[in-house]
Amino acid sequence: MKRNTTIIPTKPPPRPPLRVALVEDEAKIRESWSRLIDSFPDFKCVCCCESGEEALRVVPGIQPDVILMDVLLPGISGIECTMRLKELLPQTQTIILTALDDDKLIFRALEAGADGYLLKRTKPADMRAALLDVLHGGAPMTSAIARRVVESFRRSSPGRSGAILLSPREEELLDFLSKGYSNKEIADQTQLSFETVRSYLKHIYEKMHVRSRTEAAVRYVNSKSL
Amino acid sequence: MKRPNLALLLCLVFLGLGLASHAADPSASPVATLRAATNYLGQWMWDRETLDKQTCHFWKRFDIPKGARVEHAQLRIAADNAYTLFLDGRELGRGSDWRTVTVYDLTYLLSPGAHVLAVEGFNDNDKAGVIMGLHVSLADGQSVEVASDNTWRLVPINDSRWQTRRTAPDDWEPVTIVGALGVEPWWKYPTQFVNLPPFLPILVHFWQTGWFQIALLAACGIAGLTSFYLTMRLAVQSKAHRLLSLERVRIARDIHDDLGTRLTQLLLTGEEAQSKLPTESETRDQFGQMCDGARNVLGAIDEVVWVVNSQRDTLGDFVIYICKYAETFLRSALVRCRFDIQRELPDNSLDMPFRRNLLLTVKEALSNAVKHSGADEVAVSIRLKGNALIAIVEDNGRGFDETQVNPARHGLKNMMARMNDLGGHCRVQSSPGVGCRIEFEIPLPSTRLRPWRLFRRRSPVPQTADPSRKVREALLGASSINP
Repeated sequence: MKRNTTIIPTKPPPRPPLRVALVEDEAKIRESWSRLIDSFPDFKCVCCCESGEEALRVVPGIQPDVILMDVLLPGISGIECTMRLKELLPQTQTIILTALDDDKLIFRALEAGADGYLLKRTKPADMRAALLDVLHGGAPMTSAIARRVVESFRRSSPGRSGAILLSPREEELLDFLSKGYSNKEIADQTQLSFETVRSYLKHIYEKMHVRSRTEAAVRYVNSKSL
Repeated sequence: MKRPNLALLLCLVFLGLGLASHAADPSASPVATLRAATNYLGQWMWDRETLDKQTCHFWKRFDIPKGARVEHAQLRIAADNAYTLFLDGRELGRGSDWRTVTVYDLTYLLSPGAHVLAVEGFNDNDKAGVIMGLHVSLADGQSVEVASDNTWRLVPINDSRWQTRRTAPDDWEPVTIVGALGVEPWWKYPTQFVNLPPFLPILVHFWQTGWFQIALLAACGIAGLTSFYLTMRLAVQSKAHRLLSLERVRIARDIHDDLGTRLTQLLLTGEEAQSKLPTESETRDQFGQMCDGARNVLGAIDEVVWVVNSQRDTLGDFVIYICKYAETFLRSALVRCRFDIQRELPDNSLDMPFRRNLLLTVKEALSNAVKHSGADEVAVSIRLKGNALIAIVEDNGRGFDETQVNPARHGLKNMMARMNDLGGHCRVQSSPGVGCRIEFEIPLPSTRLRPWRLFRRRSPVPQTADPSRKVREALLGASSINP
């Protein structure tokens, strides 16, 4: 005799949803995004700001897990805002939202301390995957960004004291990336684990950030001494 | 009347002496001997009146026969009290002693044709006169003689440039003969001769001639005006260019900010609406198509903005853009991509037609590789060779027989036309089983200033390169109509 058995899925241990802060100037887009984020089971939109100034006022008090930051904002730009928020909330991951796939802009945002970027037209499913990837230590990087990173590190003179340099391993990874290899292919080529490759890339992001901050500090000191 | 008779008598005596002295020479004619004995001098000539401190101008034109060669020419002159001698306007010399005859050797100055002798005489006081004689021996044995006689003309004293006049106006009177050679108070025979070395013609270089100098001046003037015109034109053009690029940036920003934002809004609304519908609903699929269409349009806008944005027109940016495009396009087609890009590309700026044509060509090559070759890896290589950009798109697909393929198909013709527009060329190498390799070689636009290019007509822009058409294509592509 057959009995109808209902398969009760084993529920994962209840995990608090990831708290998202959203900075976007267009009201309609902001609302759509906030609903979209809420529709993901493991995310919750806890704060919506319409300008960088508001974000700097509100977000530090909320301490979200992740900030989605539009790059073009009235007032201070998304890049400027990212840089200041990163200093206040070093643990919070910041993801830049951009309508235009412009690697120069993205590169500047990454230098300012952003941990990843998303094109606004990305499909919702891909978007969730990308968010999760960044939150779990991923560092999205295309060959174009890799080329810009290599260029920018080469431009800063290696002889200068305090100049941040890439390690040979990091250079090797960037070289592979700029030749079009995916993270997985790089892992195969370099005999490293996929996770190690990811962490190397994340480390390169941090170096970029530190380097741009050092440069800003040097510029500041120079302008003072003049 | 007494004095002339005496003079005549003296002349006859002189002639007799001359004849006696030249009797040994049978060839010498009596007249020639007489002339030679008087040194070919004419008579003393002056104005009708003789005044103290008087200046007179004497003028005489003579001809050397055409085709004659001057063997020897000698001019003798003396004046009471002073003279200045001109030949064809050139001052030859001055003298101020009536007892001394100055001998000028004009052999090299007299060429066949008309010549003008001019003498300025000056009288200090009392009697006055100028006496001269020119004897020209020609190669054919003939001779030309010009002596001071009443065929000379007296030039009014207020006539400037009289020395160079080629003809004498009718109001120039003939000179007055004031005495024959040997008449008192002047000497019977010239007591002293002063020989001057031969005169050489003044060598006039072509750049010293007036016509040449006028032509040179005119050429300089024309060159100056032309360069001024070109500079003005260049200034106007560069201003127009600057305004145009500002306008381009503005349009790019507008398209991006305005159109991009509104489309993103639409897209998000569509996504939301789609997610609210049940999975198997037909409307959900339609919403899905709508959203995909909006994404395509946003992608096309990205491209248009990139193409028109003048802030991104260096070679390095362009190459990065091509790689990004190839990476996205090949990933979505599940084809591995490999790049081999030269490091440190120079900061050459590329103009819009260059970027557009090269981008479209590379896109065509990539889509060919994905559509027709069945390759699982495509390699893109970009490097500089001299002043040319070499771009290679190579796949490991099934390839084709070059001799069998119709170049009109596979977009090969299109690619070649685009390369022609850029002054470059493309080489296709393929054979069955070993993939296909397309190499583009394009000379980089020079950054040097070439003003003559202003006048060159621009080749018509190919139709497919129209950015608005790109947007239209993307829109049409969403409803799966293939233009």
